[in-house]
Amino acid sequence: MGQPEPRKAEANPTKNFFVRMITRDISLEDCILDLIDNSVDGAWRSEGSRPMGLEQNTDLSKYEISITASVKKFSIEDNCGGMTLDDAVNHAFSFGRRSDDAHDAYSIGVYGIGMKRAVFKLGKSIRIRSTYNGGSFAVPISVDKWLENDTPPWDFDIEEDEPLSAKGVNITVESLTSGATAAFGNPAFIQNLRRTISRDYSLHINRGLKIFLNESQIPGWQIEMLEGADFAPMRIEYADEVEGDHVSVEIIGGMVAPPPESADPDIVDEGEKRFGWYVVCNGRIVLAADKTELSGWGTDEWPQWHRQYSGFIGIVLFTAAKATALPLTTTKRSVDPSSEVFRRAKPRMREVTRKWIDYTNVRKQSLEEAKAAEGLARPVALTSVVRLAEVRLPRLAARSAQRVANVSYSVPLPKLKDLAKAFGNINMPYREVGLMSFNYSYDDKVGDE
Amino acid sequence: MPSFDAINYSLRPSKSIQRQIVFSGLRLLQRTLGLSNQVYVGFGSIWFTDFVMAHKLLGIDDMVSLEADDIGYKRAVFNSPYATIKVAHGYSYTELPKLYVDATLNGRPWVVWLDYDYELNESLRDDIRSVIENAPANSIFLVTFNGIDRRYGDGSARPERIRELLGSVVPDSLTKAQCKTPLLQASLADLTLDYMKSVAADRARPGGFVSGFRVLYRDGPHMITVGGVLPDKEHLSAAEEVLAAGEPYWPCFPATPIEAPHLTIREAALLQSQLPCSAPLTRAIVKTLGFDLEDSQIDAFARYYREYPAYAQILT
Repeated sequence: MGQPEPRKAEANPTKNFFVRMITRDISLEDCILDLIDNSVDGAWRSEGSRPMGLEQNTDLSKYEISITASVKKFSIEDNCGGMTLDDAVNHAFSFGRRSDDAHDAYSIGVYGIGMKRAVFKLGKSIRIRSTYNGGSFAVPISVDKWLENDTPPWDFDIEEDEPLSAKGVNITVESLTSGATAAFGNPAFIQNLRRTISRDYSLHINRGLKIFLNESQIPGWQIEMLEGADFAPMRIEYADEVEGDHVSVEIIGGMVAPPPESADPDIVDEGEKRFGWYVVCNGRIVLAADKTELSGWGTDEWPQWHRQYSGFIGIVLFTAAKATALPLTTTKRSVDPSSEVFRRAKPRMREVTRKWIDYTNVRKQSLEEAKAAEGLARPVALTSVVRLAEVRLPRLAARSAQRVANVSYSVPLPKLKDLAKAFGNINMPYREVGLMSFNYSYDDKVGDE
Repeated sequence: MPSFDAINYSLRPSKSIQRQIVFSGLRLLQRTLGLSNQVYVGFGSIWFTDFVMAHKLLGIDDMVSLEADDIGYKRAVFNSPYATIKVAHGYSYTELPKLYVDATLNGRPWVVWLDYDYELNESLRDDIRSVIENAPANSIFLVTFNGIDRRYGDGSARPERIRELLGSVVPDSLTKAQCKTPLLQASLADLTLDYMKSVAADRARPGGFVSGFRVLYRDGPHMITVGGVLPDKEHLSAAEEVLAAGEPYWPCFPATPIEAPHLTIREAALLQSQLPCSAPLTRAIVKTLGFDLEDSQIDAFARYYREYPAYAQILT
């Protein structure tokens, strides 16, 4: 009697997994950013794939990315050099990169999943067109038809195509998913997408890259640190390495706005959203205004984020020829907390954060002195911040303060708004309206005693 | 001060025109979407003008008027013109939630018109959110508020104030110039419609919110009426088709604000006798009739003469 054949567990993927499952792990907004990343990588490749630190002055002004998002159709078109036929045949449409695939230097395309996952998340009728140095082609994808049969090979047809108006890529998606239709019909989604693009690609846009959303150009967010008087942001740079791959790291941190007048958690301050830690990988902001454990808040000797710490921004930039060495997640919207380069950067991040926390604590005791110093600090563009090993903050002498009474009371909001308006600013913080009311009646009833 | 003490509702020609335009839109929607068994919810005050129109023009029987003022409530009950009007005593934010769970009302399409006389503020914004989130499928929702610029703070404070009220839908690029009269009223109308759309999308209403009403008017203070339909999936494309049809088929998106002139009955009758006409009614023609008006007044009358009200005082 012969040995029975050893049984094997089937481990083949299904198309449904890629179309319906992994698309749940990423937001629609992140999918669109993934497509923008491909365009940016194209522009970067056309410019010779140079490093993307703050020092380099690569001019991207000849590159444009135009996105149209409506309830019927999504499209993204760029003039960033295009995808070659060889790329399309061998790499761009396979699910996941092979370990022997070549990487574009200083790109942030790592995992080989972004474009496919993005278009599947967007809709069912897809056409990807490219014009490059060697010609033009198109890859049409009808998702429902493609899903009919799981048997390999999973190829997509490549067709000859009319050339685009410039060397670049054009992706159009129709028969949008219900999620995409709802989002593109939601003005808040579109406005928030503009804000995210403005922020996450600010380093590229400020180097001249033009990005349009529904025909309106998106300005780049200008990150400016405050410097002068006793304030100066920290800026350091060092080299690191991951499995033989070189990673350069820059860390900048300091004050971008004075801390708030009141740390009352009930007050909603839209401006507060920009404070916290930023992580940049090869030029792309992948983690923005983080106030969570991910960047260190609430871990080790680092307290949890509190409104009192508003006014601080820290930025850590990782630059590597090989994107696999960067602390990126597959969605490129967070950092991999287990990444060694990231973990090694955290003590330096903590140092500058700690100093800021200490400053905001002492500041409460010497508020007038602190405000006077803060008023003298002037904005400096991120790229112009000079190297400094440690953040510089005023040394405030904690004073023994007069005993104080805290007053807290509730009034109808419309009446408060009316009073704020009468005081000259309808948007005046509640605390200030209260203080002005107190001072007003104090002057009236008590006066100079 | 309650609004019925501040404003005599019956003497505002632009308001009257706006109301007629809105009701002609409501009638068109009722017909094309095949809406029946509707419920009308509004602020009837002591005049109930819109309730009378809802009953006469739309054939709506069940109606709820919200009245917060104590004396106003008693007067509203006293003046209620039909047996099927229920006057609810309380503020909109306490009374609306009761209506959402009222089993006699919540399975039927509503026409909700929250016709405020004050400016867009936090409580009004919250009412908008509440109706968009909770109104039954195929309801039509309208809101009116004032667009008096100084009510939104000084010129430089307005963009931030509007952002505070309407949140993410307000573009970062909203300028001080866009918040000055006459652009302010258009900005407020457009951004409030965007806000309504975004609330419906966040709440994943199956047919979303389809904008359809955007009427700016003034008899004195600038007023803004905006609204649309909250269709179910089956009625979505029909609603989109009607609301996107444009003038003259869909009248509720007039390109310019309604600023009706105050005319005597004799002036109005004489002007009306010249209309309709293919050539524009000019100031020269008006002069031949024996009186005179500004060009803008003549244009406004020629545009809305069919809705222009006639007022007369009865001496007893």
